[in-house]
Amino acid sequence: MAEMNNASALEIKKQMDAKFSRQGVAQGLLSGITFAINGVIIGLALTMAPFTSGASVFVAPLVGAAMNDGMAAIWLLIYNIFKGNFREIGRSFKTFPGFMVCMAAVLGGPIANGAYLLAIQFAGPAYAIPISALCPVVGAILGRIFLKQKISPRVAFGMLICVAGAILIGYVPPEGNSPNFYLGIICAIIAAFGWGAEGVLSAFGMSMVDPNVAINIRQATSGIIFTLVVLPLVAGFRMYGELLATPSTLVVVAMAALAAAISFLSWYKANSSIGVARGMALNITYSLWGIVFSFFLGGVVLTKNLVIGAIAVFIGALLVVINPLEMFSKGE
Amino acid sequence: MASLLPLRFRMLHFFSTVSEASANDLLEGLKSEYGSERQFSKKNFIEHLLTMKENGIIDETKVELDNSGDLCIYYAINDEGRSLLKKYLPKSWKA
Repeated sequence: MAEMNNASALEIKKQMDAKFSRQGVAQGLLSGITFAINGVIIGLALTMAPFTSGASVFVAPLVGAAMNDGMAAIWLLIYNIFKGNFREIGRSFKTFPGFMVCMAAVLGGPIANGAYLLAIQFAGPAYAIPISALCPVVGAILGRIFLKQKISPRVAFGMLICVAGAILIGYVPPEGNSPNFYLGIICAIIAAFGWGAEGVLSAFGMSMVDPNVAINIRQATSGIIFTLVVLPLVAGFRMYGELLATPSTLVVVAMAALAAAISFLSWYKANSSIGVARGMALNITYSLWGIVFSFFLGGVVLTKNLVIGAIAVFIGALLVVINPLEMFSKGE
Repeated sequence: MASLLPLRFRMLHFFSTVSEASANDLLEGLKSEYGSERQFSKKNFIEHLLTMKENGIIDETKVELDNSGDLCIYYAINDEGRSLLKKYLPKSWKA
């Protein structure tokens, strides 16, 4: 009888473990889909006043990023209050793992995101996008070193295919070198490292802090640093104020921020539950979803590069995700 | 008494005080601290445990069905988990 009990317990546990893995994968994919939606909506917002007012080229995207992260923090706060996690935020913030999440936020938010926007300005998207798309590789390597998260050859291979696909999708033919070209390349490398390090540092913090709470702290820290440190540096307060006074654009940014909140929440959950390498590889499928959405909105012509890149991201993600043998033999 | 830890952190700490524990044991042991909060549910605790195990800071020790036929997994803290506590547990919590 005891053995029978044990056998069925093991069977139920096996199913639960498989379900847990599936949930992690679904969260990783959701983070990619919603990040693409965020990109589409922010892109739309940047075509509206006051973003089009002709201030210097950096200001609009940085103001957009500051408002996006700040509003995402508010959405997440509402979510956490609803989930009964409100008091966890203060508690987590006071501990060292909570502080690590803040550091991760500074790396991934103002530093990586800011560097990425500058890289696009200085070196052009042709170089900035592919270099920064290497962030999952950085994350996987750092995760391997610091978190001892093992990466199977299959996951590593799938991740590389994903990255190659994302590079192909983001690739645009370079147009002559700009004066700050190398500065731009350095910024793109900083972005890849910042995002990779964010994934690892936050995953480490989340071994002791709830991901729902960690991402709230992340978005709040990022929004505050963007607003109070980055915007003064680029003289962005004026546009920020104008944005606050333009409800029609503000609503669009709020919708983008909602997509960002869902995206980052599910990204952090996936990183925490299925590991940084798999979480980040699934997250960069946003380049694929971006094409899908743009296609249906009629804003993109499918070139050979886009199609091949999209297929590569799809196959890579599949490789990262599916290995029934490993999934079922785990923990026995 | 020291101020409350984040729940997941406290769960890890709880494991350092017992040889093994299941979600039910944790619910019972932490009721006086977190019992009034909406995050205090078996479902949430199980999710924390699965993630902590995946992060390699606790290990499974045994699996059985409890009296009501529900799955009951026992876990114990491992060296990795103990080293995290040693480094990051606030002073007021250290015995």
